[in-house]
Amino acid sequence: MNAQNFVNPAGTAIAAPLPDVLPAVKSRRGFFGLIRRYPTLAFGAAILLIMVFIAVFAPMLWTVDPTAIATGRRNREPSLLYWFGTDMFGRDLYSRVLYGARVSLIVGFSVALLASAAGLVVGLVSGFVRIADSLIMRIMDGIMSIPPILLAVALMALTRGSMSNVIIAVTIAEIPRVARLVRSVVLSLREQPYVDAAIAAGTRTPKIILTHILPNTLAPLIVQASYICASAMITEAILSFIGAGIPPSTPSWGNIMAEGRALWQVKFYIVLFPAAFLSLTVLAVNLLGDGLRDMLDPRMAKSV
Amino acid sequence: MLLYVLKRLLSTIPVMAVVALFVFSLLYLAPGDPAATIAGDQATPAEIEKIRQNLGLDRAFVVRFVEWASQILHGDLGTSLFANMPVRTMISERLEPTLSLLIVTLFLAILIAVPMGVIAAWKAGTLIDRAIMAFSVFGFSVPVFVTAYLLAYVFALRLDWLPVQGYTPISQGIIPWFANLVLPAVALGCVYIALIARTTRATMLEVLQQDYVRTARAKGLALPGILFIHALKNAAVPIVTVIGLGIALLIGGAVVTESVFAIPGLGRLTVDAILRRDYPVIQGVVLLFSFVFVLVNLAVDLTYTLVDPRIRY
Repeated sequence: MNAQNFVNPAGTAIAAPLPDVLPAVKSRRGFFGLIRRYPTLAFGAAILLIMVFIAVFAPMLWTVDPTAIATGRRNREPSLLYWFGTDMFGRDLYSRVLYGARVSLIVGFSVALLASAAGLVVGLVSGFVRIADSLIMRIMDGIMSIPPILLAVALMALTRGSMSNVIIAVTIAEIPRVARLVRSVVLSLREQPYVDAAIAAGTRTPKIILTHILPNTLAPLIVQASYICASAMITEAILSFIGAGIPPSTPSWGNIMAEGRALWQVKFYIVLFPAAFLSLTVLAVNLLGDGLRDMLDPRMAKSV
Repeated sequence: MLLYVLKRLLSTIPVMAVVALFVFSLLYLAPGDPAATIAGDQATPAEIEKIRQNLGLDRAFVVRFVEWASQILHGDLGTSLFANMPVRTMISERLEPTLSLLIVTLFLAILIAVPMGVIAAWKAGTLIDRAIMAFSVFGFSVPVFVTAYLLAYVFALRLDWLPVQGYTPISQGIIPWFANLVLPAVALGCVYIALIARTTRATMLEVLQQDYVRTARAKGLALPGILFIHALKNAAVPIVTVIGLGIALLIGGAVVTESVFAIPGLGRLTVDAILRRDYPVIQGVVLLFSFVFVLVNLAVDLTYTLVDPRIRY
């Protein structure tokens, strides 16, 4: 705000600064106000949008075929011709890293969506059908006591490496966390007077869920989904890195790093570029999640 | 108290049963026919069938599960499909490096993270607090193998301060053992440090607003004493809880860290087993790690009374 607003120039009425103040309040509401109030949210969203742009328009961003093998140009250092250098098969790393954004984003978003949906259903059933609750929760406890990465690795051992299998494996590992969150929200909401009132008034359970429970679970669920997205991206990269994820025919940041593993002491850039993109994307999603938490769930934001 | 311990011990049984059922289904659903694998390429269908009957593979799921579970309870984890060795022997041979890595990481992380969280809470809103919180966001975002490669590149390759890769058994001296573990432990510990520091800060912020903290300040007690004795003691329960839960992160991360630093531990064993589809080994490792994780969290529950005498069972 301008300092002049506070002084009262000779001859002006006391009330005069008021019109100046009003637009200032108004400007905090719009798009730019949102950015000013939630800088982490804006920063995260901006980087994520850039990554989505890169993933969608990868073929048009001066890339070549990311799988084209050329033995004549193996292990070239980054240069004007090969921006990120080439790998041990002579494939262009710039193209591979840009195309790799597709895998990370698809896996991250799909897992966030699927795990939230499945976890929501499990959590609602658990919170409302009391007979099923203890059984469901024991199963969730069991799944949760297997470290998530190990669980995903074990599931991947059953099938061949492909994007859809990675998505399913990581989703299964993430469901219990969502289910627990939803269940705890449901259990606390059930104690609320207005839900009691609805039950007393004879409202049917599906309607109570739809109008009273679901809207209240939405905010924590969205926040949780963003964290799941970030952790799914990391898990995918880890799976691909140890050779249990996306096969090398589809470039992903994890498997590019896996191929750079043999040479990392001499050709560090093969590992560096996919690592930087992966970290930046996960950082963006995490910042987005923190921002969403501050915006949608102020009570939770205060406690963390 | 004893009753509570018993109750908690009993409550881990269904959890471990779910884990066991899951791990068994893994072998049951695994593609490929173990009988055909054992019989070899030259075997006739009749021979394969005979081996199948000998192994009991033709029996019902439940029967096989019960038999398998009783084997596990007797400490028999089966035999590797490739190494022709009991899984138990393979695991115990690889146990030391992984255990060393996990323990060193645990200690380093707690020693770094708790003071970080306490200072961030004390200096809440200042530059130090923001720097620590920013570090924690980065800790959550940078995957363990990225940190691992960066650390190895800078401190081992460029500066040549520490060995690049490998593992030295503790029997060959503490110093070489530790020197080999520093980089992997720091890399592995980053997420863990971020997690613990965040929780420490959040709980300390609450505790520092309590009246007894103000009283302690007013009567002139030294600040470090207030922060690390009075306040930290009262903030301990959530911190200890998150330390226990975070073990899952460490176990998952160890698989990757061992690959990067060429540490011949359980993580490497897992990765090799995945690539060769050696299901009994995968089973054994998953079972063992889950068991450890459940036990650690049981232990954490029981320490609540130690860190906070107000909690009684």
